[in-house]
Amino acid sequence: MKSSVIPDLSARKQRQPFHMTERRRRALYGYLFILPTVLFFLVFVAYPFFQAIGISLTTWHGFDKQIFVGLKNFKSLFSDPLFWLSLKNTLIFTLITTGLQTILPLLIAVLLIARWRGEVVVRTIMFLPVIISMVVVGLLWHMIYDGNFGVLNNALTFLGLGSLTHAWLADPHTVMGSIIIVSLWASLGFYVVIFFAGLQGIPVELYEVASIDGANTWQKLTHITVPLLWPVTTVVMILNIIGGIKVFDVIYVMSSGGPDHASEVLGTYLYATAFSNQAGDIASLGYAAAIGFVILILCVIGTVIQLQITGGRADVY
Amino acid sequence: MSTNFTEGRISKFDSSGKNNQLMRMRFKITRMAGYMILILLTIFSIFPLLWMVLMSLKDRDETYSGNFFPSHVTLSAYQFVFSTMNIGTYMKNSLVVTIATVLISVFLATLSGYAFARLEFSGKQLIFLILLTTLMVPGAVLIIPLFLLLRDMKLLESLFGLILVYVGGGLPFSMFLMRSFFQSLPAELGDAGRIDGASELGIFWYIMLPLARPGIATITIFQFMGTWNEFIFTNTFVHVDANRTLMPALFSLMGQYSTNWPALTAALTISIIPIVALYITMQNQFQSGLTAGALKY
Repeated sequence: MKSSVIPDLSARKQRQPFHMTERRRRALYGYLFILPTVLFFLVFVAYPFFQAIGISLTTWHGFDKQIFVGLKNFKSLFSDPLFWLSLKNTLIFTLITTGLQTILPLLIAVLLIARWRGEVVVRTIMFLPVIISMVVVGLLWHMIYDGNFGVLNNALTFLGLGSLTHAWLADPHTVMGSIIIVSLWASLGFYVVIFFAGLQGIPVELYEVASIDGANTWQKLTHITVPLLWPVTTVVMILNIIGGIKVFDVIYVMSSGGPDHASEVLGTYLYATAFSNQAGDIASLGYAAAIGFVILILCVIGTVIQLQITGGRADVY
Repeated sequence: MSTNFTEGRISKFDSSGKNNQLMRMRFKITRMAGYMILILLTIFSIFPLLWMVLMSLKDRDETYSGNFFPSHVTLSAYQFVFSTMNIGTYMKNSLVVTIATVLISVFLATLSGYAFARLEFSGKQLIFLILLTTLMVPGAVLIIPLFLLLRDMKLLESLFGLILVYVGGGLPFSMFLMRSFFQSLPAELGDAGRIDGASELGIFWYIMLPLARPGIATITIFQFMGTWNEFIFTNTFVHVDANRTLMPALFSLMGQYSTNWPALTAALTISIIPIVALYITMQNQFQSGLTAGALKY
């Protein structure tokens, strides 16, 4: 190998122009390698994105002529009670799921790392719901929550709590809570595994030193675990916030935003506005596109606020 | 709960010093409580799935009996699912779309991820940043224009249209993961190949690709899961029954056969088999890959 290196280098030194074309050739390959990705991106992401901006500034039902109306759609949102309700529900859903799906997985991971028999089995089983589609999850829990024959009501009756039985998804008071439990079930294992990986990165010596200094378990948790897991926690919270604001599948298949809009979120409201098949309702694409941008803006705001609060650690991204 | 957080990790240390019986008792109790919590969590996670599988093995008459276990196991629901619900077609469509999407996007993401990590060309950083910012754009923003785009391309109702949309949507993220993976490989490998006279394509194909296997496994899992489980796009772009994929089909079957629980749970069970099979065979990559991907995001 060595013999082939030396003549090659000397050849390069002699002929400087060859070096330039060599660089240009590598650049050419660079462009060639990214070309398909960039093309796909331009056609199926960038172009639709700018088109969405355009649509949001028009009144349009999909079959008629597009009429430019400026920011009218966005202004109309402000006086639309259904929009406000969807926004409120979205924020409630996001707040509660972010809280639950950050604190519980953190505690479970801290518990799980303390060397248990069968720890791998627990992690494997907890992760199982994570890989399953939210559609399947939603349809499955739809049956579990069934008011007449659902296994949840059966279990409550069995435990002597028959008075609590309920048509969980048909009652405006319980529909959101029921869906939030489903969200928790489906994502718990994912966040546990993330925190678990983070915990494995904390040196055990820190805890040993703390023990020597007489720190109790609670102090170790608040003074070692939580601060050192902060970057991971930030990521988990951002994933939760974005996921909560974008939530669609699970609500659409479980309640379609009902009953009586009690679980209507921005995603389901957008979908109903854009692709409604109900008689009397005509699709209004401009308005739906405007809702889409509200979702986007909320995602950006949520992330920025989160990074502000936790003092954005750029190195984890 | 707060008493047993880190007990296990430092137990060696504690017990060596003080052989206090009271301490040991306390330790035993907290360990017991810990096991209880873990067992309950495991039950919480597995119970709905267990219920689903057991329900699918029941006779239709037994649906509402309230028995947890079927009094006699029958596969008649599975027969019904294939003969009447036509799930074989939906399954085939989902497999075609998913495998095509995974193959195309993994290949293209590996190419572009490598270029962004290891090749020098002007405008690289800018193009990369533009691709990256779109990770924030929710599908809700794109769904209307994508619908119109596919309509104009005469690709509504087709599996091919779905594949194109999925590849376009998944590529930036997969590219991003592959880029950081290639950055973690030593750059000298490529230089060594260059010195030995390999072409850029040869370096990519013979040197980088074999080394990139763990990264490729990660994005394969991401793409497979994302495509197999995707709902809103396929539910919007394809309505012809012959071209339906599994997720929207399951949703409409739920409405059609809302009382036939053994059949519905059988359909749900079948629908998760490919992804669970993938999970069982690539379990470690699943957990490490998905979390690593999330942390990079």
